[in-house]
Amino acid sequence: MRHQSWAEPWRVKVVEPLRMTTRAERERAIREAGYNTFLLRSDDVYIDLLTDSGTSAMSDRQWAGMMLGDEAYAGSRNFYRLQDAVRRYYGFPHLIPTHQGRGAEHILSKVLIAPGDHVPGNMYFTTTRAHQELAGGTFEDVIVDEAHDPASEHPFKGDVDLEKLDAVVRRVGAARVPYVSVAATVNMAGGQPISLANLRAVREYTRRHGIRLILDATRAVENAWFVQQREAGQGDRLVAEILLEMCDLADGATMSGKKDSLVNIGGWLGLRDERLAERARNLVVLYEGLHTYGGLAGRDMEAMAIGIEESVREEHVRSRIGQVHYLGRKLAEAGVPIVRPVGGHAVFLDAAAMLPHLPRDQFPAQALAAALYLESGIRAMERGAVSAGRDAGSGENRYPRLELVRLTIPRRVYTQAHMDVTAESVAAVHEARDRVRGLRFTYEPEFLRFFQARFEPVGAPSPFAERAEGELGAAAAAAR
Amino acid sequence: MRFHTIIEPFRIKTVEPIRQTTEAERAAALAAAHHNVFLLKAGDVLIDLLTDSGTGAMSVHQWSGMMKGDESYAGARSFDVFERAVRDVTGFAHVIPTHQGRAAEHILFGTVVRPGDVVPNNTHFDTTRANVQDREGVALDLPIPAGHQPEAAHPFKGNMDVEALERTLCENRGRVPLVMVTVTNNSEGGQPVSLGNVRAVSDACRRHGVPLFIDACRFAENAWFVKMREPGYAGHTPLAIAREMFALADGCTMSAKKDGMSNIGGFLALNDGALAQRCRTRLVLTEGFPTYGGLAGYDLEAIAVGLREALDEDYLRYRIRSIEYLGEKLLAAGVPIVTPTGGHALYLDAKRWLWHVPQHEYPAWALSLVLYLEGGIRAAEIGSVMFGRQPDGSERPAELELVRLAFPRRVYTQSHVDYVAEVVLHVASLARRIRGVRMTAAPPVLRHFTAHFAPAHGALLVAPA
Repeated sequence: MRHQSWAEPWRVKVVEPLRMTTRAERERAIREAGYNTFLLRSDDVYIDLLTDSGTSAMSDRQWAGMMLGDEAYAGSRNFYRLQDAVRRYYGFPHLIPTHQGRGAEHILSKVLIAPGDHVPGNMYFTTTRAHQELAGGTFEDVIVDEAHDPASEHPFKGDVDLEKLDAVVRRVGAARVPYVSVAATVNMAGGQPISLANLRAVREYTRRHGIRLILDATRAVENAWFVQQREAGQGDRLVAEILLEMCDLADGATMSGKKDSLVNIGGWLGLRDERLAERARNLVVLYEGLHTYGGLAGRDMEAMAIGIEESVREEHVRSRIGQVHYLGRKLAEAGVPIVRPVGGHAVFLDAAAMLPHLPRDQFPAQALAAALYLESGIRAMERGAVSAGRDAGSGENRYPRLELVRLTIPRRVYTQAHMDVTAESVAAVHEARDRVRGLRFTYEPEFLRFFQARFEPVGAPSPFAERAEGELGAAAAAAR
Repeated sequence: MRFHTIIEPFRIKTVEPIRQTTEAERAAALAAAHHNVFLLKAGDVLIDLLTDSGTGAMSVHQWSGMMKGDESYAGARSFDVFERAVRDVTGFAHVIPTHQGRAAEHILFGTVVRPGDVVPNNTHFDTTRANVQDREGVALDLPIPAGHQPEAAHPFKGNMDVEALERTLCENRGRVPLVMVTVTNNSEGGQPVSLGNVRAVSDACRRHGVPLFIDACRFAENAWFVKMREPGYAGHTPLAIAREMFALADGCTMSAKKDGMSNIGGFLALNDGALAQRCRTRLVLTEGFPTYGGLAGYDLEAIAVGLREALDEDYLRYRIRSIEYLGEKLLAAGVPIVTPTGGHALYLDAKRWLWHVPQHEYPAWALSLVLYLEGGIRAAEIGSVMFGRQPDGSERPAELELVRLAFPRRVYTQSHVDYVAEVVLHVASLARRIRGVRMTAAPPVLRHFTAHFAPAHGALLVAPA
């Protein structure tokens, strides 16, 4: 028989205790954190859904691999092991390890982008765009329109709109487009996948115009699973086969191993062109480390090599995404507006729909994340106007159509009961949503402001206005 | 009674097998590595003295810290543990973790160095120099003259020339964003810097209103030399000496892969809150969020423990003594080395040893290749390959042609060291037959890591007898 449940293909080997906090403690903690969940101390957090990046639980095999670290400065055997794993599962012949994904983005942007260049991509990602802009490039969004519509049930909202891409190339000329940046999955759209057919079409187009295609492979395994589940003719293929074909279509990839590859630290840049790889290696020694360790301990490369093998197993991806969808289903049943369809690594709350009484310049998603923490101790992340930052030219706030709060599920860390508590907590805040107040900046950093920005509630001492003691508790009980 | 034998203040908990190779295997491996030991596979190396950076053995306490790593992206308690440990040792108010030392340099220089600025240092190390030059700054070395004399018997050959610093600060008013002092002075032979010298440098910096930063990679080893050699410090603990040194500075960059006793990691620590905030803003671009800086939570824990272990007196006595021990063996046999022996490495003086090899044929590089070929030992050249290329692309021979035998911390035993001595003495007996090399390919920056070489005369590095 074929089971419908997605029971985890592992059991628990090591645990880490969690701490419950009181409402008074959380009031103090979120105030001290400037109403920015990034600035909370993890000890004050009950369930940490800030990010799935580097927060996974490693397997006993990965820990065993940690003991096999060869910490030689040059030529560590763990490097060759990682190179083999990347070649086998991602197919890139040249591997340049980096301490994490943004290290790879930093080097790639420096190597490929000249001032005045334009880089089309299927929606921006914070660090990716920051590096493109630092190198003098301009990001051009060429994702399909459906990606900006949280309610659209399009199965591949990560697809590139080829007409938009063509319009950019016609406008600036192919010579000013060093590469097209394709993310799989698309984080800012809600963890939405790109279809294989679309990726093939982009490859075909870029080949005709002599433009490189660079894959952001951070969650490409999760993307491959969606292709298997949703794309016609792909249902009988293995996730690993689909992953390899996706990579075959690209000239290179940046990777944060902290996501799909189940490690706490590590990333890489994979390339096909030997000369390009040589230039990247010359930069990696300056910023990261020698090209055979790239700023990672040997043990970290070993753990990543093992993590890659574990990450492409069917039963792993199935339970991973199964858990995310379980939470999504619960929230949808409770009437909470979420981005549809649910993506691979997170459930995204539609803060604009949930808090229509807050104007965009009071950052509804930031306020919702603060309110959720205050109510439940659950830490989520704003993915809206604060993350989007200011326009490099005009200095004005960018207001993306999506104003979201991301409930990101770390891999192999939380149980179904944790997901149940999360769903109840979000439902309780949703019940009391009209009392959530907006926020304004008290400190705004120059780059990637969402990380370190500080806020204060607008016209109220707390992001929850006029709260009667116990009222929300009652709402939570009702939701249960 | 008082015993004189200095033993390791630890026993072995975990071992890692090493592999013997034949001379034919090593010749093939060297050819495949384009005659660059950085390109050798570590599995083909018997005793790896390439660097003491990130190659140390961690303690059981560090490994237990690894299991306590809090991998939360933001505000992890492992960061609190790390921050407390760094503050406790350095006293600096703001602690910014980075994935390793060069990233701390990148962040600091990227934030304060403008094109045309001058950054004085007793001697810049390779990545420090490259990061200053990456910002189009001038990396100026101001060692005392004894620093360049391999045989000079000076207790603190790593010192900075304070008069030259004064002149530099006067002549470049407004163009010196910071002064750095590297402890110990790696490029000059792992030589220590006296506290008196740091104080004089600090005074000069204060007078000119220029901040002083310590490149603190080997601060604990430096503290040990101060305790042993500087009048008035014999009764001080290494921790007290380290704190006194840091108190003279405004901040430091640190590679925790050295005296942090860790396999990865580093930090930038400083007192200026506004500058710290600017550095954090840059940090999130290239490293990571300010409470992890590109490190796993478990690494932050390991460094916090390692910083204190590095300051343990029994450990430092053993550490410095191991190098001295090898030095005594080589000196007794008349092998030219840099004296006194330094903190983390023994430096062979290839200029005196291979006087028949001209500097444009890279004698120290050739010597490092022969050490591998004959004994499977990997060592690093610190000479004209590492430092010969000038920012304008021209070539100038380096002051010193050294081969560094760097000792990983707590990794090799006395019998390993005895073997190394035997190999070095054997290679010394071949000295007259060793030939130079020529560079066949080189990248524009930090070329020693990836450049290709070939024997300059014929196919052999060592001429037949």
